[in-house]
Amino acid sequence: MTPVGGQPAGHDDGRPRVIAERPPAGSQVNDALIIGASAVAGLGGVVFGVALLAGAPLAIYGGALAISLLALAGAVRRYFAGRFPDVEAIEPRAELGDAEPAEAIAVVEAVGRRPLLARMLLGAAALIGLGLAAPVAVLGPSPGQALRRTAWRRGMRLVTTDGQPIRPDDVASGGVASVWPEGEIFTETAAVILVRVTPGSAQPPTVLEWVVDDSLIAYSKVCTHAGCPVALFREEDSALFCPCHQSTFDTTRGAAPTFGPAARALPQLPMGVDADGFLIALDDFRAQVGPAFG
Amino acid sequence: MTPLFALLLSTLDERLRLRQPARKTLNKVFPHHWSFLLGEVALFSLVMLVLTGIFLTMFYRPSTDLVVYTGSSALYHGQSLPAAFESIVRLTYDVNGGLLFRRIHRGAAHLFIASIILHLLRVVLTGAFRRPRELNYHLGLVLLLLAFALGFTGYSLPFDSLAGTGIRVAYSELLSFPLVGDRLAFWIFGGPFPTGDVIPRFFVFHVLLLPAIIGLLIAGHLGIVARQRHTQFPRFGIDGHRWVYGKPLWPWQFAESTTLVLWLGGVLAASALLVPWADVTLLGPYRPGIVGNNAQPDWYLFWVEGALRIFPPLEWDLPGVTIAGTFVAGVLLPGIVVAGLAAYPFIERKVYDLRGDWHVLSNPLEIPLRAGAAMGFFSFLLVLSAAATNDILSLMTGIPVETITVIFRVAALAVPTALTVAVVAYSRRRLRARGLEVGSSEAGPRRAGDPAP
Repeated sequence: MTPVGGQPAGHDDGRPRVIAERPPAGSQVNDALIIGASAVAGLGGVVFGVALLAGAPLAIYGGALAISLLALAGAVRRYFAGRFPDVEAIEPRAELGDAEPAEAIAVVEAVGRRPLLARMLLGAAALIGLGLAAPVAVLGPSPGQALRRTAWRRGMRLVTTDGQPIRPDDVASGGVASVWPEGEIFTETAAVILVRVTPGSAQPPTVLEWVVDDSLIAYSKVCTHAGCPVALFREEDSALFCPCHQSTFDTTRGAAPTFGPAARALPQLPMGVDADGFLIALDDFRAQVGPAFG
Repeated sequence: MTPLFALLLSTLDERLRLRQPARKTLNKVFPHHWSFLLGEVALFSLVMLVLTGIFLTMFYRPSTDLVVYTGSSALYHGQSLPAAFESIVRLTYDVNGGLLFRRIHRGAAHLFIASIILHLLRVVLTGAFRRPRELNYHLGLVLLLLAFALGFTGYSLPFDSLAGTGIRVAYSELLSFPLVGDRLAFWIFGGPFPTGDVIPRFFVFHVLLLPAIIGLLIAGHLGIVARQRHTQFPRFGIDGHRWVYGKPLWPWQFAESTTLVLWLGGVLAASALLVPWADVTLLGPYRPGIVGNNAQPDWYLFWVEGALRIFPPLEWDLPGVTIAGTFVAGVLLPGIVVAGLAAYPFIERKVYDLRGDWHVLSNPLEIPLRAGAAMGFFSFLLVLSAAATNDILSLMTGIPVETITVIFRVAALAVPTALTVAVVAYSRRRLRARGLEVGSSEAGPRRAGDPAP
């Protein structure tokens, strides 16, 4: 530190002032250090993100994070040491009730122009920020087939919410029943509604070989608009009606939408009867169950 | 500055008029010393705690209901575990980065409390608590107690066997309050230990109540520092009571803080590779009636634990009330410790008849009362802390744990007393040898009791 303007004893004019200033310790070596450390820091940030997502061992992504943060700390330190004078200053202490001193020393400015160094630092910081965003992707698993398949498999019995397998006769004329795959009660995407329509009224696009007794049809109960349970059956026009947004589906025509915001039919469950006379699934749904996904 | 950035700045400035206040803030002079960074370390540790804590909260399940773990840890696969512990096992073995963030969180928690304690030590030893800063000193003490609570609830949440045992001891401490203990314990636990309510409630304390209160108090703490300005060490030729000297916020204070936060992040990440912080999956879940050896709390509660261990057996059955040793050693004694810390600024002011405001720090050896009190006080806490390891010391040395406990009973009284007497005598002699009076090292011709101009 070199004292500025002699001994600080001469400060009694009550004004803030710089009392010592050391010029920046910039050099080509210093610049090279900043560039190298920034590069290490940015690379470390990327390695952290990629290794974390790839499920690499803790030592790799943890080490990359540690190295990149320490390298950036070093680069920041060298940057300020190389570009800014180290300034010591004094200012009068405001007594209680005084206004804060209106004056201040001049803003300490950087010495010389080194746009590359600042860009390297900011770039490294941005890459580390990007890497640190990687944990967000860990929050949920990869969707895979989870949205394309349901719990229904060939030969699974349809059971009520109590777990009782059901026979075609259990659904009266004009009646409906909520059923599930055996052992998968309340598995949301597998919810099915059985409807008894007037015999012979079902016509394509209803798949007629999946209609039992010429009148009993199974549809996905999950609305294709926003996923509410399509819980209401209007007997006079054999319509399924969604209480959330009023989408209406014609059960005699493959549950095609006839009103409201739903754009897609409720998928029909391939259904048959087993040797003991219970209703069974012949397969999973053939069409996409529930709302669209991007 | 790129034109786009300059445009953004001028657009903001036209609306918010920030250029003038910003310039003033950038030029504000901050007293400069490495020990002034301890509080900043605590602040940045808290930032790390919040960031990693958000990630952990996404996976943690605050419940003690039993669930079956079906993940990739062979040790626990297929086992029925308390849901809280199960989610910790899942975080550790089945979530990418889960173990890293758990360890950084635990490491940052240790650092948070350690840096607050060192910050307190700095404030006490140098006299930064003196008028007009008593209020902020007390705010800091409250923050330290809240940090203990934050640490203890966090330590409890995994519901491993040590955590459950720690909760049991805390429950017993609450029970020991005379007259209201049973009610107090049931209010906090929602019934007799271990109710299903304790973990959900500790979770709310840990992630919502305590962080919110701590955040508000820190804002107040820093606001008061900004208003009163930081204290500073004496400097030859400058009257520190009239002038603030140090470095302007821009660039060096800014550079230092930025470097510090990066450095801390890097060190914590490195520590996660080297130190098995928080590997509670090795301890197993809490099951009532089962605990292993080395049942210690986290280090910052060793002093309370030590007091519990060496306090003589006591249970007074008075008419209508029972005074138990757990209350005296685990509640009353810590209460006296905190009250002593809180009262000290006023005691020193009274004893030396100090008046006026004090902005310049001092060497504790120049104030014999402070040197003696600090030495006695912190050595007492250290001996108590050491007493919390009596079982481990016994195992290491072969001396029976009973003998070690008796030694600690004597040491807890004798060591602080002897050290206090020695330090007071030394600092008095030192003052005499230099021909000084208390407080006379303040810059200028000021003596003890002189007000700041």
